[in-house]
Amino acid sequence: MNQVALTKKDRARIELAVQAVDWKLNGRVPRARRRQVLNELRGNLIEAAEQVGAENAVRQLGDVKALASSYLELYRGRFDFRAAAFWSFLMYAAIQILGLALFFAFRAGVAAGGAHGASYSFELWPGFGPFAGKVSASGNTFEVLIGSPAHILLVMLAFIVGGAYRSVFARRRA
Amino acid sequence: MAENGVHDSQLLKGVLSLALLRLLAERESYGYELVTRLHELGLTEVQDGSVYPALGRLERDGQVTSRLVASSSGAARKYYRLSAGGYAELTHIGLAWQSLVRALDPILSKPVPAKPKEALP
Repeated sequence: MNQVALTKKDRARIELAVQAVDWKLNGRVPRARRRQVLNELRGNLIEAAEQVGAENAVRQLGDVKALASSYLELYRGRFDFRAAAFWSFLMYAAIQILGLALFFAFRAGVAAGGAHGASYSFELWPGFGPFAGKVSASGNTFEVLIGSPAHILLVMLAFIVGGAYRSVFARRRA
Repeated sequence: MAENGVHDSQLLKGVLSLALLRLLAERESYGYELVTRLHELGLTEVQDGSVYPALGRLERDGQVTSRLVASSSGAARKYYRLSAGGYAELTHIGLAWQSLVRALDPILSKPVPAKPKEALP
């Protein structure tokens, strides 16, 4: 079969397909393994492109998402950094939403109590958090904790559990 | 091969490992070469994207081993070859496949009736 010389556009097309696979593996498959998989895929795509053209080579690959899922199923690492980041963000958001809800309830309580002058504050586990707020009787002061040792602890916990739970469950199932 | 040359993709997926093991028993090959060998056999529906992870699975299960060989196209080729476990697996699946074909053949070779018989009361 005739060999086709690859143009920059062909190489870009191949790299796009490789990067689409990498997007799904990044943070989930150990780095060394990921590099091996992508190098092999790139090599095979170049070989295919030299035979049938880059466009056909990428088309012959089929569904790139399905391919990436197959690789993921095969080589998933013990710790999923993406899941870890997602769960820690979710934990932080949940703490903040709960903190704000507490703050508004406290402010409503201050207003309903007819308090005036000075400012009123609440805090669970002083110095540790995660919930603390301050409100003036006029309602103009608005303060709520955005970071505390408890925030860090809970977010770290979510990071560790979120990143590892899948491999723990997989081992239990096995 | 089906009469019209079209193969069921689910069936193909099921026997892909067997086909790859059989091809690797003939000679060591790299991913794209195996795809072209499958296509030359008439299995043109097999997509490259299903062959590469299947090879990874065979390697993980110890049925094939691999080595990198420099190539003219730049990136090194990853050549796969059958391991001792792979030979044993090939024999095992090969026998299972032949047994399945023998069992199904008497049913499938009969002409399909226009209408199924009704059950007796």
